[in-house]
Amino acid sequence: MASLLHPSQTSNPYNLKPGEVSSGTTIMAVPFKGGVVLGADSRVSTGTYVANRASDKIAQLTENIFCCRSGSAADTQALTDYVKFYLQQWEVESGRPATVKVAAHLMRKICYQNKDNLSAGVIVAGWDPVSKGQVYNIPLGGTCIEMKCAIGGSGSTYIYGLTDALYKENMGKQETLDFVKKSISHAMARDGSSGGIIRTCVVTEDGVEREYIPGNKLPYGP
Amino acid sequence: MASSGSGYDLSPTTFSPDGRIFQVEYASKSVASSGTLIGLKCSDGIVLACEKLLANKMLVPGSNKRINTVSKTSGCAFTGFVSDGRQIVNRAREEASSYLDTYGIPVPPSVLADRLAHYVHYFTLHGALRPFGASMVLGCYEEDMDEASLYMVEPSGQVFKYFGCAAGKGRQGAKTEIEKLDLSTLTVAQGVKEAARIVTMLRDDGKDKPMELEISTVAAENNYVHKPCEKSVIAEAEKWAKEQIEEEEDMEEDED
Amino acid sequence: MSTLSFSLDPTAAQTTPSQRTQYPIVTGTSVVGLKYKGGVMLAADTLCSYGSMAKYKDARRIRTVGTNTIIGASGEYSDFQSIMDTLEGHTQDDVNYDDGHKSDAKSIHSYLRAIMYQRRSKMNPLWNDLVIAGSGFLGYVDKIGTTYEDDFIATGFGSYLAIPILRSKWRPDLTEGEARALLEDCLRVLFYRDCRALNRIQIAKVAEGETGVVSEPYELETNWEGAGFESTKGGMEGDGGW
Repeated sequence: MASLLHPSQTSNPYNLKPGEVSSGTTIMAVPFKGGVVLGADSRVSTGTYVANRASDKIAQLTENIFCCRSGSAADTQALTDYVKFYLQQWEVESGRPATVKVAAHLMRKICYQNKDNLSAGVIVAGWDPVSKGQVYNIPLGGTCIEMKCAIGGSGSTYIYGLTDALYKENMGKQETLDFVKKSISHAMARDGSSGGIIRTCVVTEDGVEREYIPGNKLPYGP
Repeated sequence: MASSGSGYDLSPTTFSPDGRIFQVEYASKSVASSGTLIGLKCSDGIVLACEKLLANKMLVPGSNKRINTVSKTSGCAFTGFVSDGRQIVNRAREEASSYLDTYGIPVPPSVLADRLAHYVHYFTLHGALRPFGASMVLGCYEEDMDEASLYMVEPSGQVFKYFGCAAGKGRQGAKTEIEKLDLSTLTVAQGVKEAARIVTMLRDDGKDKPMELEISTVAAENNYVHKPCEKSVIAEAEKWAKEQIEEEEDMEEDED
Repeated sequence: MSTLSFSLDPTAAQTTPSQRTQYPIVTGTSVVGLKYKGGVMLAADTLCSYGSMAKYKDARRIRTVGTNTIIGASGEYSDFQSIMDTLEGHTQDDVNYDDGHKSDAKSIHSYLRAIMYQRRSKMNPLWNDLVIAGSGFLGYVDKIGTTYEDDFIATGFGSYLAIPILRSKWRPDLTEGEARALLEDCLRVLFYRDCRALNRIQIAKVAEGETGVVSEPYELETNWEGAGFESTKGGMEGDGGW
């Protein structure tokens, strides 16, 4: 039976079923002048057991659009698979790369229409020639809001203050990347359901750069 | 048999021995004998213009429209069988609204044109169906590409992208006239007048046959929203057109 | 009832109750609206909360429908987005028909009543309380399809905190400036006393014979001075410590 409490007030915010694998997570995406940075921790847990300590929560939707997943691993995998498929169709019909806006809209549509059966909170981010770097946040109910700095997953609640304080307008690529890494490190340090390594992804006009920071080299602290 | 084609014109499912589909050709014929329709891609948008021949003087002006809005920034004009044309307009509207619903952006003109062509073409493939006796010109703007474009879908299901196009009775003359225009500098405001001139000039000799001129634009000055022109704008364009035509005729007489 | 976890009885599945959305996730708080001399005005803040977290601080909760109707929404933001998509579809249909007809605020209000009531009857409500404003019209619809029209309307916390203010200050001959000041007063009180409110707001109006406009968000001036702030007990006897 679903809880009557708001998901943000329960210890099981995504209403996971017993044994369901969750990416009780920290995810983040921030656009900058020439593109967008996405970041995520790598811990996947079932209850308190770490089912995977090196997972990749940044899914690729198209060449230049990515998606950070949080909530049920099964749901978000299915979701990204669908959106990937629809975007491929879109690109074939239109004969050009899909835009982040279209990707976010498709994701929102599926999340909204199936809200009673899904436990998924995702961030869609990427770069396209029409609107450059963009980030859209799609939380549990299927709301879709464009953001200048989006964080998500259980770990994000520990770093709202940090990201509000550290975020600046007009950051460059390296500065944005450092901001993302630092923020996620602090979430991982305080959230039991986040941990492992940090994976990042930078999308610009020139392409995609992915990197990871090992769990013993996190930029935690002042 | 009299010609190699006779007997092969009863269904669009069968080719004639020399590779033609007569039903589709007949459909095109019905378009070729109806009101002139032209589309212009101007420097700052699209102009659609259509000559509506009135079968009856008792018709209420503005009824039986040939130019219709499909979505915020796209409009279409058709000529041929009006009821067939309306069917294509309905389809265009369905495509546009369902695309907006699924993808959250307006349908790109190329996609809309392609989908309509598929729809029209489908009716040339089945024994139980009859091809559409109407040609449709689409004028659309796409914000993502910042481009206004012009397409024409024909009864065969063919579709092409144009700088200027024409269909209906006066199409040949219209094409020649359109080719004389400098579409790279012509503005929509001028285009409306030129369109009125071309359509008026190509009317049959029986000039007092009742007709109504319909014009619409997808223009930068309206944020590329598709708008049927006001009656006053059309009246003004028609007046200008008639003056131009008379001037030309006078000049020709002088030359004689 | 059998204690088996699954059974071959084909009707078994239907005996388990299913539950749908039945609470909101991302929510907006109050919307306040009033009529004034020569128009109708709405106001709302730009916050969307995630439970008690102030998550989205730039969520526009007042939007225009067509040219001369404005709608303000409290409640689930995804449902509001979906409602607006539907209404924009209808607006385009009106344009397409090209017969000169446009849906006005009154008919949109009535349409939304039908939709809200239908959804609640399917036990799957759209979780919003809406205020609809248009030329000479101000109406309310809630998540179960209740409607009313009035000279001033407030949803959510506003019905406790803004309505008393409006009852004492509202006049039918309010000027546009006075109307705006009164709405700002209401939202200021809501900011002080509603934990889900913000002092970043938008004002929207439909003036007689004009098209609807929604302002860009702006910040409300607030006041944190006075005896009660400077000394905790406000200079009075007794325990003001809470």
